[in-house]
Amino acid sequence: MTKLLLVDDDAELSSMLEQILTKEGYQLTLAADGETGLHRALSGSYDLILLDVMLPGIDGFQLLQRLRQQMRNTPVLMLTARGDDDDRVQGLELGADDYLPKPFNPRELVARVKALLRRTPNTAVIPDPIHYAGFYVDPMQNEVRCDEHVLELTPTEFDILRTLVQGQGQVVSKDQLSVAALGRQLAPFDRSLDVHISNIRKKITHNPERIQTVRGRGYRLLQLA
Amino acid sequence: MRWYHSLTLRLLLLFWALLFAVAASGFLLAIWSAQPETPRPLSPEVRDILSPLLTDQSTFSSLTPGRLLAGDYRVAAAVTPEEGPNRLQLEPNLANSHRHELMQQLDAEQPEKLRLPNGMLVGPFKLGNQRILLIRPLTAEERESFLQQAEEAEHARTLVLLFGSLLIAILLGFWLVVPLKRLTQATREIAAGADQLYLKRLPKRTDELGELARALENTAHDLKVSRDAQRRLLSDVSHELRSPLARMQVALMLSLDDQNEVTNPHFQQLSRDVERLSTIIERILSLSRLENGLVKLTPQPVDTHQLASTLVADLAYVDNHYGERLLVLDADWPVTLTDDELLRLVIENLVRNALQYTSGLVELDCVRENTETFIIVVRDHGDGVPEQQLEQLFEPFFRGDPSRHHKSGVGLGMALSVRAANVLGGSVSARNHPEGGLEISIRLPLNEVTNDDTNAVTSEHEADETQG
Repeated sequence: MTKLLLVDDDAELSSMLEQILTKEGYQLTLAADGETGLHRALSGSYDLILLDVMLPGIDGFQLLQRLRQQMRNTPVLMLTARGDDDDRVQGLELGADDYLPKPFNPRELVARVKALLRRTPNTAVIPDPIHYAGFYVDPMQNEVRCDEHVLELTPTEFDILRTLVQGQGQVVSKDQLSVAALGRQLAPFDRSLDVHISNIRKKITHNPERIQTVRGRGYRLLQLA
Repeated sequence: MRWYHSLTLRLLLLFWALLFAVAASGFLLAIWSAQPETPRPLSPEVRDILSPLLTDQSTFSSLTPGRLLAGDYRVAAAVTPEEGPNRLQLEPNLANSHRHELMQQLDAEQPEKLRLPNGMLVGPFKLGNQRILLIRPLTAEERESFLQQAEEAEHARTLVLLFGSLLIAILLGFWLVVPLKRLTQATREIAAGADQLYLKRLPKRTDELGELARALENTAHDLKVSRDAQRRLLSDVSHELRSPLARMQVALMLSLDDQNEVTNPHFQQLSRDVERLSTIIERILSLSRLENGLVKLTPQPVDTHQLASTLVADLAYVDNHYGERLLVLDADWPVTLTDDELLRLVIENLVRNALQYTSGLVELDCVRENTETFIIVVRDHGDGVPEQQLEQLFEPFFRGDPSRHHKSGVGLGMALSVRAANVLGGSVSARNHPEGGLEISIRLPLNEVTNDDTNAVTSEHEADETQG
């Protein structure tokens, strides 16, 4: 059974979400504050973590930061009630995979959860390793090496880079990348993909510009001499 | 601040000192240029003419001041051998005006000539222990050269005074203006939202300017504190309003099964209202953020044509009919340096409005007004708006036709567009098109990016992003 962790201090909302997600066939664990949430996230093995930003104790951002230091493979979906776009971007920068602003349509939540889970490959046929522009993607090990250094990537970043390497230098559209990495089409005003790309660039020490922005079309990898 | 730190006092002392310095230098210059001429050696011819007359003792002793000797030469002063009050005899006129020169010349070693304003002094001629000085009127040539010299000295004096005072004025100007300029710059920084001001040593000054600089620093800090408080309040309010809305939405879904949901009109009404409420909250918060300068701008090269096309595509995705009704006209759409999200917000709200209130075609056009501004035009083909309501169009919660409340939006879109355009440094205006329909113009500053350096700027911008 797929296990989800919901960290949210809104007890009423949490219990209602529990009903909905249980009906969808997920097993949901609740945590009402940051400390408990972090403890549970690190001790249990969850397939996905739903994380609210405003939490008593340590807030969602801090929780995410500490979580990502130790565990980078579990997808995280941020639930933000704050209006600031900055908040959303900040969550993505700290390693969240996707975000959903409150109030949300519960169906949208279920769809996002499904998309993120579908995208995480656990039983699929393991394809062969691929490489391009100094990147070596090993789907078996779930590992990307850049110029022989292993990159510490979140699942979303991993999928984005894998899709780009699969493109072998061809332009990959933002929608293609979004479907591959987030399991959904990019919504208008959605900057999440750009933030993920920017995160990947930050992790590449040498020549991060080899991930090239093609204005209005998408991204591609450049073979730099 | 102590009394002696006061700028008033300093300015007073400074101006006083300055006026004094200028006056003094004028005075000194006058004295300097009025210094007597230096005596020059006598030409041999003159000596040859005069010497024969002055070798005879009897002639010599009979020479008293005023007496004509030879040619124009007249005796100006004489020193006789007899002791007594009459030993020194001076020509009375000269004794009054040039006594000093006479005395000095009497003591000279050699016969010399010295030009005075009213004659040429020659001498001394000695015989035994008698000495005399002669004087002759100036020739026309000598008088001419004397006047010319006096004039030149006058000019030099004027020039020195002119440039000297100019130099002092420039220094004084800088002394006063440089801190003022820095303070003006700091005020602009405050307006732009900075909390750290670049004032160098100004706040350490002990006078009024230092006081002003410190006051500005405090203001910047206070403003930051209140801006932070405002931002916190906004996010708190937003959180407090959204949480119950989120619960309502989930509760609605839980309270009905899928069958009921589709058929029950009350559920649909509730659901729509919850969504509308969250839209209103979102809009009010956006509006408030824009009005309070809490929106961070990230200017980058934006292809306006592409932005318009993407917007149309997105709206067509929302509603198929929208796609059919929207038209991006072929025009000289610029690639300009601006914030793409905010610009999109401006256009989207206006376009959505046009789509909502009319049923015909909505056209997007672009006109370059001049080298500094361009206009994006959103035109519908509806009935237009009564002239007296054109101004109110952009006020929050204003809706033109009351009968249409039920199907329209929340009445904040236009206001949002205007505020967002203002933040971008532009403006929005509306008019009824002569051929019918409402025409809304978004006038924006044009910071054109040519196609050649688009890529360069892009990669720079992204490099920044990567480092930041």
